[in-house]
Amino acid sequence: MERNLLLQLTDVAVRAFTANEQEEPVAILKNIHMRVEQGEWIALIGRNGSGKSTLLKLIAGFQAGEASGFLDWGDALASRSGIKAPIVMQQPEASMVGATPIEDLIIMLEQNGVKGELIAEQAANALARTGMLDRGHQPVGTLSGGQKQRVAIAGCLAVDAPILLMDEPTAMLDPEASIYVHDIVRKLNRSGIAVIWITQKLDELREGDRVIALEQGEIVFDGAAEGFYARSRAMDSVCERLGFEAPYVVQTAWELEKHGVELASLPLTPAALAKAVQRR
Amino acid sequence: MSGNWTFDDAAVYAAAEYGTKRIIGPIDGSFEQGRITLLVGANGAGKSTLLEMMAGLRPLHSGSVALGSSSLWQKGKRRKMRLDRNVLLHTGISLQHSESQWFAPKVSDEFRFSLKPYKLPEAEQEDRMRKAMEATGLPPQLTENDPWTLSGGQQRRLSLACLIACQPQWLLLDEPTSGLDTAGISQLLDVLQAHREAGGGAVISTHDLDVLLPIADEVAVMEDGLLLQAVPAAEWAAVHASDYAAPQALRVLKELRHARFELSQPDTALWPSLSELAGAIASQLAATGHGELREPKLMQKQQTAQGADAGRERQARSVDYDVESPHQSQEADKVNISPQIGAGGLASRFDPRALILSYVLLAAAVLMQGTWPGIGVAVVLTGIALFPLRAQIRPWIKVIRAYSIMIAAIAFIAGIQLKPLGFEWTNAQFTLLRFSGLLVVMLLGLPMLAMVTPLRVQRAIEQTFGWLGRFKVPVSSVALTVTLIFRFIPLLGSEWQRFAAIAHARGKATTQAGSLPVSMLFPVVIPYIRSLLRLAEQLADALEARGIGNPNGKPTRGFKLRFAARDALLMLAALLSASLLFYLNAVL
Repeated sequence: MERNLLLQLTDVAVRAFTANEQEEPVAILKNIHMRVEQGEWIALIGRNGSGKSTLLKLIAGFQAGEASGFLDWGDALASRSGIKAPIVMQQPEASMVGATPIEDLIIMLEQNGVKGELIAEQAANALARTGMLDRGHQPVGTLSGGQKQRVAIAGCLAVDAPILLMDEPTAMLDPEASIYVHDIVRKLNRSGIAVIWITQKLDELREGDRVIALEQGEIVFDGAAEGFYARSRAMDSVCERLGFEAPYVVQTAWELEKHGVELASLPLTPAALAKAVQRR
Repeated sequence: MSGNWTFDDAAVYAAAEYGTKRIIGPIDGSFEQGRITLLVGANGAGKSTLLEMMAGLRPLHSGSVALGSSSLWQKGKRRKMRLDRNVLLHTGISLQHSESQWFAPKVSDEFRFSLKPYKLPEAEQEDRMRKAMEATGLPPQLTENDPWTLSGGQQRRLSLACLIACQPQWLLLDEPTSGLDTAGISQLLDVLQAHREAGGGAVISTHDLDVLLPIADEVAVMEDGLLLQAVPAAEWAAVHASDYAAPQALRVLKELRHARFELSQPDTALWPSLSELAGAIASQLAATGHGELREPKLMQKQQTAQGADAGRERQARSVDYDVESPHQSQEADKVNISPQIGAGGLASRFDPRALILSYVLLAAAVLMQGTWPGIGVAVVLTGIALFPLRAQIRPWIKVIRAYSIMIAAIAFIAGIQLKPLGFEWTNAQFTLLRFSGLLVVMLLGLPMLAMVTPLRVQRAIEQTFGWLGRFKVPVSSVALTVTLIFRFIPLLGSEWQRFAAIAHARGKATTQAGSLPVSMLFPVVIPYIRSLLRLAEQLADALEARGIGNPNGKPTRGFKLRFAARDALLMLAALLSASLLFYLNAVL
């Protein structure tokens, strides 16, 4: 296997558990083939019930249903003991086990078999990387949603994994906190950590991101973000076909095309749009 | 009845670790009828609390709230404050989690529950239900379905449909766009616009300005529990165009203007339509050499003092954000992070082992007391111990009162003699004595939950009983279970309150939000139990995510409890008190 490979899913399917044996079990995921390489940013997109959370939980090693197929770890992950791919979930409320951020990280590190004498330092370092060290002793109940998510991200960093799984981490946050959490994870991604990021907010896509779109449990698109928005003569873009509203920037670019203004590459942020129009 | 909302120094407080704490207020100002006002501000600024206050779900600590000429709170019988029924009937609130409020077997029954306070004839109810479902895009054949079998998006639509079926003058909506797809959002906007055209008003707490700002009349910023002056939506957009979290359309305009594009501001809309914008760009690109330097015009336009201040403060905060990791991570190893010391407060002051031993000792001594003077001394000692912890006792006052009444009743029954009919004081007194002892022991135990943290209890169990592990006793599993129960207990109360508030608002109960009429118990219990199951599932996920239950894992220990001087003092105090009680019991 190549050195860059982190993990690979081959012909994975997941069916819901059913109480009734005669009943045909519902397929949550089917025919999933995907590989994740080191340092990638993958945006996982799909409507409610499309199976994207299940896919992420599967990679995180959770029991999500009756699964079949293969999940192969690359060398970097195969050698790890304990958690291979840590996950941050959407609900900040129920996702912390400890009573304070420090406690939560200590529990996580203890359960992962980190040597006792190293735990305090690793926990503090991880909290510092998400800007939560000065609140390390604050009771969980008094933290905001964004702060709880930063603690959860710190937990993932503390176990020093080469990949982070993020299940709509910004869904419950206000715009400022969302941007902050998003920026932190982008920064970690630039430092070489691969990220799989589930989102409904399409304005979180950046140029060069890999987008995987799911519909009814199947991968319907896997490619660059620009391709996700690409319209062909006869067809709407994948984004529109899935029933998502494209961000204002992308819609402007589409409209410019109608007015005969061709842009060299599709901009995804306001700044990129301004640059693209100027550079023509 | 109709009119504007007016607030006069209105404030809401909640119980806190020490006494009470201001959540929002003092709030002055008004919301005008026939207008859509957006409430914006960071999470925790008090937006939801303000909406709940307007719906009567939060008692006022001070000040007043009125709709038109009617005050929301009226003095009722026995000088208890009650809500004005008319105000409630004209107000429809949708809270976060309103989409998981279902308890009835059929969708139509959910409508009937929402419409019940309006006492409408059957035909009218049917008619309103049909119209509301149509307006929110729910297929009419769903009326006979179980609400829980609807998809997530349909459940959100149903909660909006139940609300508009009541045709309230005012809609109070908390994050109405979350979880809605593109079609759902455009239906919501249609509903809101129709509501305004019919003369109704709306106050909407939201983060989704991209969607809602274009139809809003006004924007009111909430910050740290205070309501800043509402400004017209266009004015707000002008002032906040350069916020990094502003709607994307505004940021696009700003960037383009910065790139020297001349873009006119439309008269009615907040930003140009896509075709207008693209047309303007295309024509300016065509006219070669768009080099004429012009400063962006819009930016300097009328900045209201408060709006601008709020913007500046927000930016200041974002700067704070950016000053993070690099120097902090260098300092990381210098920081003392031992969980036993310092900032943890009450919860980490004492070793759980010292607390539990002291408690057991005292409890045994109290329960031994067989005389009234003994109980009296026990009460005094308990009072001394609990005085510094009175804030932890306060939330339990109602339970304590109920328990005391129960004791009195049981003692009375115990004293009744049937043959001959009479009252035997000695029997009653004996019962009273026993139960009073229990009450004292219960009181002593109440603050314990706040004085330990789950991890510290777990560690206490492991360190005390760890040796049993050698005999195949699953000590760490037991310890972990205890930890989780501790973590789960506070959630039980907060979830109950969430669904009680929703049922209270739908049923238009006029009592204080804490006391729900018995008839409304059922609509709370079902969504409550479902939500507890969901919480448990999330907690299980959180545990798995932390690697707990990993069969290959060998957990380590990141910290150990150590007996400190204050733990010794605590135990000494308990020992002395217990000895005094033992002595009294022997002498008296």
